[in-house]
Amino acid sequence: MTLAVTSTALLAAMLVAARAAAQQIDPRLERLDATTRPIVATLVDSARGAALPTEPLVQRALEGATKRAAGEVIVAAVRRLAVDLGHARDALGSTTSPAELIAGAAALRAGASPTILTELRHTRREPLTVPLAVLADLVASGVPVDSAAAAVLALAARARDADLVEFRRAVERNIALGAPPAAATAAMAASVQVNAGARQQRPGRP
Amino acid sequence: MFEPMDDAIERIARHLRRPVHIDPALDGRVMREITALPARAGARSLGAAWRWVRRPRQFTLTPLGGLAAAAALATVVVLSRMDSGSSVPPPAESRVFQFVLVAPRATQVSLVGDFNDWDATRTPMRRARSEALWTAVVPLTPGRYHYAFLVDGSRWMADPTAPVARDEDYGTPSSVLTVGGGGS
Repeated sequence: MTLAVTSTALLAAMLVAARAAAQQIDPRLERLDATTRPIVATLVDSARGAALPTEPLVQRALEGATKRAAGEVIVAAVRRLAVDLGHARDALGSTTSPAELIAGAAALRAGASPTILTELRHTRREPLTVPLAVLADLVASGVPVDSAAAAVLALAARARDADLVEFRRAVERNIALGAPPAAATAAMAASVQVNAGARQQRPGRP
Repeated sequence: MFEPMDDAIERIARHLRRPVHIDPALDGRVMREITALPARAGARSLGAAWRWVRRPRQFTLTPLGGLAAAAALATVVVLSRMDSGSSVPPPAESRVFQFVLVAPRATQVSLVGDFNDWDATRTPMRRARSEALWTAVVPLTPGRYHYAFLVDGSRWMADPTAPVARDEDYGTPSSVLTVGGGGS
């Protein structure tokens, strides 16, 4: 066998092997049926190619498998999440962490506009995972999107993650006690803002 | 007695002008001697290595050898992929959370969520002394997690103490846990 033929054969074999490795299906997706698995794997590969986090997509598929959802339902859920992750990245920027993207996708799914996500990015220096998650949770609790977004935007600049989580709990508590969701949100946001301001003005150690 | 200086010079010049026969193999012998001289070991080996690297050469490879090389390459790629694709989050920054469910009639409860691949066998909950309480402890890194309780292998329950995750796709209820960063 001449050198040229050997080299070509070797290169072809390497390319085939590398391509096969790249297309290797995540073993966890074995829990999906044989029809659904390759479709989900293709969606995951596409997300990887677009530099989106793939783990949330795998988890979404596994959730569907555990809940015994139909294959087409699982595919639709994974596809929808991939689209939401892409939109979240467009709004939050290309350097956004996977955790932020997941929370951002949840906020978008809850009804927040991409503009709100971009505003949050400009407002807060710390990671946006918790503000975005709180925004999504508030909307899920019945707070109108505009009220929830206004409150989170107002708090995001200064409030710590713990303040935001506590804010969400307080709003949900007040809603459970009968307060109108929008009013409960506005009142608690004002309260947390005052507390955050007082904490910032507290003198530190010399 | 001394001969005159001019004669002596003339005689030396004649002597030097005589053709001299030089062995043609002399160059080769000299170079062999020079090569055999001890040189600085590092410089010599470096030079030899550099010449070896630059020298073009031909390889012959059997088809079996080519396939073996391709298989070795594929193994390396697959192993590196498996390492990078692990679902286990790095332990740094993780905090421990306790999940609690009141289910007095349950005989078996599992905690499932996107922190354990929604695998009912991974995080079985333990019955507390009160017989009604089921608990599980899970370390989590900052992020937003969905989870639920799977009671007796078939009944799904959201966490009544946590925000509900609306799920238009699967319908079955889940709950949400948000884990903040170090400041929370």
